[in-house]
Amino acid sequence: MESTSTTALADLVRRAQKGEESAQRELIISYQHRVAGFVYAMTGRSDYVEDLAQQVFIKMVRAIDRLQAPAQFESWLFRLARNTCIDQLRRQKLRRIFLPFGEEHENIPEPPGAVDSEELDALRHALAQLRPQDRALLALVQEGRSHAEIAETLNTSVAAVKARLHRAREHLREHYQPDHEA
Amino acid sequence: MPGNTFASITNLTMKPESAAWRALHDHASTQLRGGFADRALRAARGPADETWRAFFSLGARNVRPGFAERVLRAARAATDIPSLASHFALSAATAVVCLSAVFFLHQRNVDAADARNLAEWQQLVQAADDPDSNML
Repeated sequence: MESTSTTALADLVRRAQKGEESAQRELIISYQHRVAGFVYAMTGRSDYVEDLAQQVFIKMVRAIDRLQAPAQFESWLFRLARNTCIDQLRRQKLRRIFLPFGEEHENIPEPPGAVDSEELDALRHALAQLRPQDRALLALVQEGRSHAEIAETLNTSVAAVKARLHRAREHLREHYQPDHEA
Repeated sequence: MPGNTFASITNLTMKPESAAWRALHDHASTQLRGGFADRALRAARGPADETWRAFFSLGARNVRPGFAERVLRAARAATDIPSLASHFALSAATAVVCLSAVFFLHQRNVDAADARNLAEWQQLVQAADDPDSNML
């Protein structure tokens, strides 16, 4: 069953690589919600989600013909998403340093209670305390990426991924308090 | 109530500092809000898978309808964004052009100065060879 869907995905990717717009559209529709969720986990800002997700898919459309192994599409897409989010967070940090009074809305996190429940609010708060790289690691695991895939994405070893993941989970637990008062 | 019985028995034999401890414990326990055990367990285990799933779908809700069409339109319209390598290549090419221009102008000035000096020397040599000349 899984191999059938993997083959179907590889076919779809090959068609998208040939520039077939319907295949590109199908890929975007299939992954838009997962990428949006990933972006939200990375940034914690709902107003960034559509913009960043759009950037990710534009990069995907423009670079898909350079993807060597169509079967690796998912890992590749989430690598694009991770890098796009980390670039955005880095730019935001630089902007905060050089323009401390400009674009003030960027410095304000979403207010507590902007999300549905105490637990989601706590998760958002806890993720915000982590480094973007650790956030990406946790979000990639939740996205179903294997340790080997993550290691490949981050150009590191599986053992290093496991160690970093362990530390990231520890940090997340430290900050995850569903009754926290922001 | 067993607690009260225990309290009445212990109160008879309790030292004053034990009573103080007990009062302290009672005060501390009133600080814990309902559902403390659940919250402690949740914090110890970290977010559950359902919480993660709900969190991701919360993000996914921010994608407005017609997203794929907007992305494809933007991808078609987007011009090539210069990469870091292309920035470096452009900088290197600019540097080469500027250095060539500087070198060319410098070389032209040097050649002109050489020609001028040579002409003056030739004039001097001619004057030296010609004893009637009163240039020296």
